[in-house]
Amino acid sequence: MITFAHVSKRYVGGASALLDVNFHIDAGEMVFLTGHSGAGKSTLLRLILMLEQASGGQVVVNGRNLSKTSARLTPQVRRQIGMIFQDHKLLRDKTVFDNVSLPLMIAGMRYSEIRKRVRAVLDKVGLRNKEKAWPLMLSGGEQQRVGIARAIVGMPPILLADEPTGNLDPQLSKELFNLFRQLNAQGVTVMIASHDLTLIRSMSQRVLVLSAGRLIDDIPAVISGGWEK
Amino acid sequence: MSNMRVKFVRRRLRAWSRRQLYSFFSSLGTLLGHRLATTMTVLVLGIAMVLPLGLYLAVNNLRGLDLQQDEWGAITVFLHNDIDEKGAAELARMIDDRPDASAETVSPQQGMDEFRLASGFGQVLDLFDENPLPWVVLVTPQVRDAEQLGMVVGNLDAWLQTRDAVDIVQVDHKWLQRLAGLLELGEAFVTVLSVMFSLAVFVVVANTIRLDVANRCEEIEVLSVVGASENFIRQPFLYTGFWYGLLGALFALVLLSISVLYLQQPTEDLLDAYGNSFEIQGLNTFHVALVLLAGGALGFLGALVSVQRYLRQLRVSGRLGRI
Repeated sequence: MITFAHVSKRYVGGASALLDVNFHIDAGEMVFLTGHSGAGKSTLLRLILMLEQASGGQVVVNGRNLSKTSARLTPQVRRQIGMIFQDHKLLRDKTVFDNVSLPLMIAGMRYSEIRKRVRAVLDKVGLRNKEKAWPLMLSGGEQQRVGIARAIVGMPPILLADEPTGNLDPQLSKELFNLFRQLNAQGVTVMIASHDLTLIRSMSQRVLVLSAGRLIDDIPAVISGGWEK
Repeated sequence: MSNMRVKFVRRRLRAWSRRQLYSFFSSLGTLLGHRLATTMTVLVLGIAMVLPLGLYLAVNNLRGLDLQQDEWGAITVFLHNDIDEKGAAELARMIDDRPDASAETVSPQQGMDEFRLASGFGQVLDLFDENPLPWVVLVTPQVRDAEQLGMVVGNLDAWLQTRDAVDIVQVDHKWLQRLAGLLELGEAFVTVLSVMFSLAVFVVVANTIRLDVANRCEEIEVLSVVGASENFIRQPFLYTGFWYGLLGALFALVLLSISVLYLQQPTEDLLDAYGNSFEIQGLNTFHVALVLLAGGALGFLGALVSVQRYLRQLRVSGRLGRI
């Protein structure tokens, strides 16, 4: 589903964010991406989202080689991906409902269908009764869940999360990761960048470790994992 | 297979129209959401547009005014003293035969009577042994507008000068020529003002939209990340620009109507004093439609230029990635 082949990224000014990164993620996998801040986690996610362009190597997402994809097709690539941000990136002047419905609006879906889907997804993240609330009226955890609802409402095959538990307490973080597990069980390919090592360990999933822009470890999933314990 | 294609196209078309609808309402929502700012912008645009429109109306009305005057273009032809009634009538007939003029004769006696009445020097005239006045032919050019008048009068003048019977040709259309010149100047002013204020409308809308885009930078970023095309991002701003222009034009038309109503009575009074009936001509339906359309188009263009520039900046700064 996601393949990196000899990918490097240098920013203007010479700083290298990624150096010769290679990995492959199959459809339906759940993968954690970890490393110290500045190790290149965000850059890697931004490459997948076409927010950045690789300076070298190939990034292939859902069968499409991004370095050979014209800018015109960027929206199509992004519609395949649900992205969850650490700072949620909700629109403050739109209600929860309107925030979540954005991807469907963009797809030009019928309104009755949009309403149905948004309600279903809000139900799923436990915000059924917050439909008409404004993002600023919500707690951090609730805002994060609105962000997740927006990422999954369009049922994208790929879900990316950048430090989704950044500002959440351990209990909420745990719940969030379980939600990702559920989605993954439904066939969504999930990639989560996080430095919450304790939590990552408890999930027993495949882990990619970045350090100073290099992929230094690729730990496979442990079958008899302990996250349910 | 072709059936599936048709269905596919139809679905795309429906999706497209739903997106348009979304942009449409989104732009209206923005305007209503910032009512004060919107009102101020519309006021500025309206005032900018009413200036050239007002001048256009004034020039147009003045032009309509001089068309109604036929006696103003008269040429007075004094014949030699030895020309009698027969000679005068002959000349009048020749002038009448021309397509561009008509003529009537005034006998020395008529002239004397008129002068006596008009000047109040009747007793002085009694001192003359005989009537010193010659036969006179009054020539009225048959023309439609002031520009043509200048030419026709020039032609008539030249032709009359060559007649043996003619002593003096007195052309009384200098002030009409001046009026025509003034009207021409007025029209040039209308053009210049139109260009300048169109530019002003364009710039005002562009700047307003620029601020709007800057304020909604985050929204643009989010839209872009969740897969909105550049077109989808741009659309609401273009609609907003269109609304600004349209509302500005509407406001300008309202201002103009109020001004016309306000000026109607004084104008009538003034022209009554000149023995003229006159009604200010407002804009016709075609002009109203044109003004609204032009306003909307200017707003749209201003928004387009502004949005394009800003989106390019966002792209260059790397906040949108490649879209």
